[in-house]
Amino acid sequence: MVGQRKFTLFDAINALLLTALAISTVYPVLYILAVSLSDTALVTQGKVWLWPRGLNFNAYAEVLSDNRIPRAYLNTIFYTALGTFINLLFTAVAAYPLSQRGFIGRKYFMFMIVLTMFLNPGIIPNYMIVKELGLLDSVWALVIPNAIWTFELIILKSFYENMSTQIREAALIDGASEFRILFNMVIPLSKPALASIGLFYFMGHWNSFFLPMIYLTDQTMHPLQVVLRGMLIFSEGNNAGLVDAAALAPQALKNATIVLSMIPVLMIYPFAQKYFAKGVMLGSEKG
Amino acid sequence: MEHPGTKPYPRRPQSSIGARLAATWKHMKRDRQLLLLFIPCILFYLIFRYGPLYGLIISFKDYSVFQGIIDSPWVGFKHFEKFFSSPDFLQLFGNTLALGFYSLIFGFPFPIILAIMLNEVRVAAFKKSIQTLSYLPAFLSVVIISSMIIDFLSPSNGIINRVIAWFGFEKIYFLIEASWFRPVYVISDIWASVGYEAIVFLAAVAGISPTLYEAARVDGASRWQVMRHITLPGLMPTIVIMFILKTGSMIRVGYEKVLLLYNPTTYDVADVFSTFVYRKGLLEANYSYAAAVGMFEAVVAMVMLLGANFISRRMGGSGLW
Repeated sequence: MVGQRKFTLFDAINALLLTALAISTVYPVLYILAVSLSDTALVTQGKVWLWPRGLNFNAYAEVLSDNRIPRAYLNTIFYTALGTFINLLFTAVAAYPLSQRGFIGRKYFMFMIVLTMFLNPGIIPNYMIVKELGLLDSVWALVIPNAIWTFELIILKSFYENMSTQIREAALIDGASEFRILFNMVIPLSKPALASIGLFYFMGHWNSFFLPMIYLTDQTMHPLQVVLRGMLIFSEGNNAGLVDAAALAPQALKNATIVLSMIPVLMIYPFAQKYFAKGVMLGSEKG
Repeated sequence: MEHPGTKPYPRRPQSSIGARLAATWKHMKRDRQLLLLFIPCILFYLIFRYGPLYGLIISFKDYSVFQGIIDSPWVGFKHFEKFFSSPDFLQLFGNTLALGFYSLIFGFPFPIILAIMLNEVRVAAFKKSIQTLSYLPAFLSVVIISSMIIDFLSPSNGIINRVIAWFGFEKIYFLIEASWFRPVYVISDIWASVGYEAIVFLAAVAGISPTLYEAARVDGASRWQVMRHITLPGLMPTIVIMFILKTGSMIRVGYEKVLLLYNPTTYDVADVFSTFVYRKGLLEANYSYAAAVGMFEAVVAMVMLLGANFISRRMGGSGLW
């Protein structure tokens, strides 16, 4: 696209700045990894800055032997798997009728759905609905009230709209029910779109801390992010000592927990680029 | 309600309404399978998106857990009056606007600049790796990001303070000194979101016609001129839309990060509507008062979005709708 030109000073500065930015986003993660693998004494002396010093896996062994974190890890996996599944199921089923041009009331339904993006009553009324429905202290409090994200619904709806209508018409003539068309044809054909919004849902569940914090009072049910918060950042009752109180627990231990919580995310993220971009792009389009 | 002597409006013939109902009924019957599939969606939006709007009426009541939403006594605007006359009101409003405004003003240009810079890179592999690395933080949870901030800024052992000390300056207690809260919040926000937000602008740059670039090069435009006269104007519609969106959601400060980073020494500058609602409502069980504050926030947010869109259309730009 761009023809051959000389490598100018401009290019050099540009590359330098971009490299600096990339380092600034990657360095913290590498640092956390290095600390988690280092000797605690060397960390407190400030001798670790990029590579692990006094390489050992003690912190990981300790984290995994205390049953708090493995339990939280399993909770997170369970919430994320169930939550993402429910999200995708609900969104796929809701997007299908909305994508059919002749569907009765389609415009009104769309209007009511899009309107909710502007009406956000806030934390308290949401909490009260969950409470009145008796969902507090159950997985369903995390899963059902957010079963559909409106943005993701719209993305999937536009994807369905662009699918060929001929297959559906042929199937209808052959006597297939809408249910069968959706589950046997439309959903299998929309795997790329489902992967794209599924990634957003997955990230949302995996990284969620506020909702589990307010909806789950039973500590044994807490997901990893809530436990991490308890370990890394102190709670409301905390006084001004926040910064140095955080230094009390061994750094290696805390960082090992962070690394464990990041593993699935870091594994997915390099491959997520095209889906991520697609989702962002569709989301930024009008209506 | 007809006045005597005025003619009634001409009515549609009954048969037409009947026919329309019949047609609707037929349409519904034809779409019955789709409607059946759509029921979960309807229920979801009614219960969990419109239901909370109904729950908002507790901000006009003295809600008590034992009496429930319906039976709690009405108190009119008591909670709103209490809030507007309390010193919390101005402080929260000020803090929320300040955090939102600084994030918007300082944060908005960076993704655009990054997109333009990436566009100038000619080695595809380099460009792709930088882009991928730059949005790594978008995948990390707010808890992890906050703990990184706390860790890196720690006065005892944080990297930043080690560097400051290395240069021979005094250590800074970033998270305890109120004056540092906003810079820390805004800069960390930019760091975490710049790569992710650049994606939209990069795609917009890719959409600019290559012929424009070729024509400019034939005419002997310098790189700066190409950037100024082709790339930037080509990005303008996207920039405007993103700006409206950002302005509209300015008041919705990322309260989760505030919640994780603030502490009583920084409440004065850090407390925003949502964190206040969380503390008053869920920690102190002041449901009605907190709901009133939350409702105020929601109304202001909506007005700002509508206002931003209105201004943008007035100025001849493209609106969101």
